[in-house]
Amino acid sequence: MSAGGAGGEATGGIPQNNLIAVGAAGGLIAAYAGHFLTQGIGPAFAFIGALGAICAIVWGAAAVRRVASYGLGTGVPSIGMMALGMGVVASLFGLAVGGIAGPIVAFIAAAIIGLVIGVLANKVLGMGIPIMEQSMTEIAGAGALTIIGLSVAMTGTFLFDAVLETVVATGYIAVIFIAGGMAILHPFNANLGPDEQQDRTLTTAVEKGAIAMIIAGIVATVATGASAIPSIVIGIVIWYVAFRKYVELVNRDAYKVIGTGLLPTEEELE
Amino acid sequence: MIDIAGILAENIIYIVMITLGGMLISWSVHFVPVGGAPAAMAQATGIGTGTVQLAAGAGLTGLVTAGAVMNVSDSVALVVASGAVGAMIMIAVTMIIGTWVYVYGVGVPPASAKVDYDPITKDRQDLYVSQGTEGHGLPTVSYVSGVIGGALGGIGGAIIYYSLMSTSTTLAHSDLISLASIFAVGIFFVNAVIPSYNIGGTIEGFHDPKFKKWPKAVLASFVATLMCAFVGVMAIGGL
Repeated sequence: MSAGGAGGEATGGIPQNNLIAVGAAGGLIAAYAGHFLTQGIGPAFAFIGALGAICAIVWGAAAVRRVASYGLGTGVPSIGMMALGMGVVASLFGLAVGGIAGPIVAFIAAAIIGLVIGVLANKVLGMGIPIMEQSMTEIAGAGALTIIGLSVAMTGTFLFDAVLETVVATGYIAVIFIAGGMAILHPFNANLGPDEQQDRTLTTAVEKGAIAMIIAGIVATVATGASAIPSIVIGIVIWYVAFRKYVELVNRDAYKVIGTGLLPTEEELE
Repeated sequence: MIDIAGILAENIIYIVMITLGGMLISWSVHFVPVGGAPAAMAQATGIGTGTVQLAAGAGLTGLVTAGAVMNVSDSVALVVASGAVGAMIMIAVTMIIGTWVYVYGVGVPPASAKVDYDPITKDRQDLYVSQGTEGHGLPTVSYVSGVIGGALGGIGGAIIYYSLMSTSTTLAHSDLISLASIFAVGIFFVNAVIPSYNIGGTIEGFHDPKFKKWPKAVLASFVATLMCAFVGVMAIGGL
């Protein structure tokens, strides 16, 4: 199945390097800020972790958009699932062995796994996408930071014992897996086509990230270290703003938006 | 800091087994008839969805059955067999329902445009392929191929889960189960996507010319799974 892209690199709007900076730095800083503010001041600050996850999700969606424009031959969702597959392995490894350096160890491990899989995709499988290595590295890193950010929002910390107890052992990790994966793969999948625009795709990523944030907030209602209300309220606000912006961009890019009315009833057709 | 050499020496057999499981999953995906969106519109042979979704469905079913058996038995043969059977049932049910939809819903005979005669039933196919399509439905050979793929994928997933569960650790049993399952799912997804990039998203089964490309995907999965196995065993063994 072709991805339906233009068969070349997607360009335009914000340069990828800026997005890398926002995603990687934002994701890491927010994970640490969420952790230390929660430990130092109070559980209300756990939501900062989810803001980092949104940064990582936007970055991941931008990387998916860039690489999937070449046409992966198998649909866009596969790469999002791959991102979270690599991300979950790397992030749990990083948190388990890294202690306070956990997010950084996880990020580096994810980047290495992503780079190797990118090299394999081009050299062994012969996909021939010039930015495959870089994009896979980016996508794996974004996947790992998404998982860590949402874990911080759910537990208030990235220390492994708490994450294991609240997120992994309870099975909420599966929710993170699907919500984070959807947020990374869905924006380009939903917007692809000849009139795909970067700002519209990335707005979708923010909106999907906000949904993941709300879900993380709901999970936090059962956690002791994190406060649920800030995550849910801020998530809803971000979702509303991003969704309004998205509708606006859809109206901008559409040739014409008209109301067609409801379908005619049977009597009217006679 | 964790004792990398010690954990490695203790669990080297499990790293080997996980890698083997990953390679099996990668190989198994080549057997499953995947048609993607064209198949959903009855314009190509196979199940009308992506490789990853199918592999995930089969793999997770296999994981659940393997996990259920692991609660009552330590026998690796039993765990692996139950994983294989779970994945086979899932993929077989998906294919039979899909075939019903194609035959009674869409109204097309299952036929492949890749081969003129079905390699198993020897039935003629080319007469029944609608014009402008690559075939439709799930002919017998694709069905059999899919069940074989389910078995191999289930075996692979079960081996990975069993190995992660057997890694020496001080974790509580319930924590170990959740950690091992999520690692197994992660490794499964990576190994489901690698072969789907290899075959370009659609394949009919082992009679499809694309099937011959499998060594490349298995080699790529070997390297990728070895890394994931190392990372997973280190994380579980270090706790």
